[in-house]
Amino acid sequence: MSETAESDQLLVPARMVNEYVYCPRLAYLEWVQGEWSDNLDTIEGRWVHRRVDVPTPRQVPDGSDTPEPAHELTARSVLLSSEVDGLIARVDLLEMSGRLATPVEYKKGAPPDNAARAYDPERVQLAVQAMILRANGYHVERGVLYFAEVKERVDVPIDDALVSLATDAIRGVQAMASSGRCPAPLVDSPKCTRCSLNGICLLDETNLLAGRGDATTVRRLVAPRPVARPLYVQEQGSVVKKVGDTLVVTAPDADPVKVLSKDISAVVLHGNIQVTTQAIRALMEDETPVMFHSFGGWFVGQAGAGIGHRNVSVRMAQHRALGTPLQGRIAAALVAGKVQNQRTLLRRNLPVADHAVTGRLAQLARQSRTVADRDTLLGMEGYAARTYFAAFPALFRERGAWAGAQFRANGRNRRPPLDPVNAVLSFLYSHLVRECTSAALQAGFDPYVGILHEPHHGRASLALDLMEEFRPLVADSVCITLFNQGELEPSAFHARARGVMLTPKGRRVVLAGFERRLEQFIMHPVFGYQVSYRRLFDLQARMLRAVLLAETAAYRPFTTR
Amino acid sequence: MRHRWLIAYDVSEAKRLRRMHRLLDGYGDGVQYSVFICDLTDVELQLLREQVLQVMHQAEDRVMFVDLGPMSGRAPHAVSFVGREGISLRDKPGAVII
Repeated sequence: MSETAESDQLLVPARMVNEYVYCPRLAYLEWVQGEWSDNLDTIEGRWVHRRVDVPTPRQVPDGSDTPEPAHELTARSVLLSSEVDGLIARVDLLEMSGRLATPVEYKKGAPPDNAARAYDPERVQLAVQAMILRANGYHVERGVLYFAEVKERVDVPIDDALVSLATDAIRGVQAMASSGRCPAPLVDSPKCTRCSLNGICLLDETNLLAGRGDATTVRRLVAPRPVARPLYVQEQGSVVKKVGDTLVVTAPDADPVKVLSKDISAVVLHGNIQVTTQAIRALMEDETPVMFHSFGGWFVGQAGAGIGHRNVSVRMAQHRALGTPLQGRIAAALVAGKVQNQRTLLRRNLPVADHAVTGRLAQLARQSRTVADRDTLLGMEGYAARTYFAAFPALFRERGAWAGAQFRANGRNRRPPLDPVNAVLSFLYSHLVRECTSAALQAGFDPYVGILHEPHHGRASLALDLMEEFRPLVADSVCITLFNQGELEPSAFHARARGVMLTPKGRRVVLAGFERRLEQFIMHPVFGYQVSYRRLFDLQARMLRAVLLAETAAYRPFTTR
Repeated sequence: MRHRWLIAYDVSEAKRLRRMHRLLDGYGDGVQYSVFICDLTDVELQLLREQVLQVMHQAEDRVMFVDLGPMSGRAPHAVSFVGREGISLRDKPGAVII
């Protein structure tokens, strides 16, 4: 028996043949692109497998041996391969009686209510295991599916019809892997609702944008907002420690705060915060990134979350797109989306409608959509920004009027920001960059290879691209609200040389406002369902990825009316 | 999406008791001796149950799970205390800002 296959040849795992029969795209995402995501089904499945995933410490006779005919034996978790067929499988439980071998595959749940009392993907998986066993000299007549929930065994005869079904599927997997192209999502399939990868696959969304099937309604299969949220620590001198299975944050002169690892999606640190090695290690194991901002708010970088995304094809597609017309088209869409949203923000919030300004922005948004020349595009973006920020001070009214007046005198400026509004905008933009960097990393992008923003030293250009359409919607709108509702007053700022900075209390107010905004639900104009802004970052990053991977034709920026 | 769970355990051996306490402390807040309140998604509940089964002795110990309902419903108000100043349970999910 070949326990391991030391060969360069890519062996097709039996489990992947199962997934291919279930959904070719699922097999591609998992096997070729290295994507994985858990849901209740996969976790319960692993629990059911917990015993058969531990190999039996026992000698298992080779199929070519001739053991005594009556010798019966079982072995758990047996790894077998067949180089000739290019197959590999881990057999959950191998029951042997002489040379007769029967693979047993563990499944959670109960057998389906059909004639075979088994679904095709599982039957094919057993057939692949049987083929490997036969190639290793065993005699196989049937396989068994063991349904753990009802403790029921279902016999699966390995006949010629099933073997030919399996052979076709194996050829399909091999062709798919060598094509390097991700198969299209299933159209309107009930299978997708319980698939753990549906949030990565984005089946209905992709089908809609690719004009596949007659999909007009998109099922919302992704959770509308993530359960876990960031932990922000900005109180200087705080310490983040691991205590038991939790994190404990101790700020100077304050009671320690316990935070559950399952509740946090990221640890965001401002300035001088200590994080113990034990805490960093625990966070890495949970794949929770630790993100560092400078004391002033600048996003410096992140640690943790493993050694990068396994989906290489996205990064390759990113590099391939550089210098192509596709890059130009996406860049134009990004600018058009931002300008459109700038117009919307003004139209909704200006105390007196200014048709000259909103009309000009609408026109720029329209024109920029089709601009192929990069310099022209950047020129239009700059013109739109000047138009927008010239009208911006008028948005600050009543309790925020003082801040608007200071902004009017300075205009938009940074490094250092010269007035409170600029300070808050810069602070919010740097948090938006962080969120978008995180979304870019999760989608498998190299955040430093930009499409609209040219790659620069140490600048997360792709994150800046992704954030364009959200600048007005998330950062600018939060800034306006916080001043106008009186949450930010002059006491929230202090002067540092020429610049103006938020005080620790001010930072906390802005972060809370930012978080409130990210939690808000909003109707997606293309997909027609409600999601939070934070989920939107992921969604848009994945839709950008679909364009780069040529799954859909054009990038559609997120815009509101 | 999350439900609030009241989880109480009887564990009859000191080492397992410490391990059970530490396990549940990672999932929620201890509110009485051997009683925890945990807000869990279906996935988190499954993971917790699996780990509880691994920590406990199935013949000698017993763990009780009480579903107090979804956090969007009455669950946040299902538990109250009188007497010695106790623990305040989080009722609003949201980012922690320190």
